[in-house]
Amino acid sequence: MTIKVYAYGVIDSNEKIDEAMKGLNDASLFNIPYRDIGIVVSDLNAQIQKEDKTSVLKHEEVVEKLMDKFTILPMRFLTLFSGKEQVLLIMKDYYDDFIGNLDKLREKIEFGVKTIWPGDLIKERITTAHRKSDNLPLVASSSGKSFMEEKFENYKIDKEFEEEADRCIAIVDGFFSKFTSEKRLEKLKTDNLLLSASYLVDKEKRDDFKKAFEELRGSGGDLKYLLSGPWPPYNFIVLTKPNAKKFGSVDMVDSVFQRKDRI
Amino acid sequence: MDRPIKTTQDKNSYLDLRKQERVTLLEILDRALEKGVVISGDIVISVADVDLVYLGLKVLLSSVETMERLRGAPLSGATEEPT
Repeated sequence: MTIKVYAYGVIDSNEKIDEAMKGLNDASLFNIPYRDIGIVVSDLNAQIQKEDKTSVLKHEEVVEKLMDKFTILPMRFLTLFSGKEQVLLIMKDYYDDFIGNLDKLREKIEFGVKTIWPGDLIKERITTAHRKSDNLPLVASSSGKSFMEEKFENYKIDKEFEEEADRCIAIVDGFFSKFTSEKRLEKLKTDNLLLSASYLVDKEKRDDFKKAFEELRGSGGDLKYLLSGPWPPYNFIVLTKPNAKKFGSVDMVDSVFQRKDRI
Repeated sequence: MDRPIKTTQDKNSYLDLRKQERVTLLEILDRALEKGVVISGDIVISVADVDLVYLGLKVLLSSVETMERLRGAPLSGATEEPT
């Protein structure tokens, strides 16, 4: 089988890394230098035995160990190159992007905050209030009511629901704003997942951020909160270069991941 | 992996620990499968096109939406059953 190169992340160093660290399939890690930066990889010369959570955790473990020593731009899980030459071409192609992101993310970590609220109950309450105030049956019915009126009623309910969500998100976000340099907020991924937020935080403000979370959690109410981190800054890497140059096709990965090896 | 995950019900029971492990894994998946450096082009062997890998993950981790989005396929209609 052809040796392939598995990439973990781009780091702000072109020096050798700790040789004791191991990657997927227990392979040695090495840093491929390009100018003043490098990309940490390991050879992949056999099938991945478990393309399951073990592999994901190993990828993450390597990225986090590197994060302790370097600024890192973590690669997406299972990024493979067909050889070292191709890795160097990518480094050359994306160098400016990588440098820009490494500078932006130096001494920064990411925290995740999820907020769960009883969205289904809130929507039900809003719906009931609307139907009472409009003197309508509590259960929507098409009889005696035009399609457009029903649509408009639902639109008003959804709008009020979203406004309520915005109000709550503003309160939650207010606890963290002063400790963060950037944030990504996702509203209502589901009715009950009010907010899925990622915050970029200075390493030195790590404890302040955790304290703010504890204050939020102690503030009472029906909302539940989940803090995770510190993470490598997965959510804050922005590449401006849309596409790498194309260098011809490479043999596909199903020779690496054999179906029989799956659990 | 030093990753404090805190919920509103921090207890040291086995079930809570298992729940926390699972949440941690899902948080990792949220990032490692969806975010990070993504390089386009034929030079990278993109596993996103390969069913086998992500079907394997689907079984174990139920991260269906992520997988299907990565594959660019509709949520239903996976034709290959994992073994």
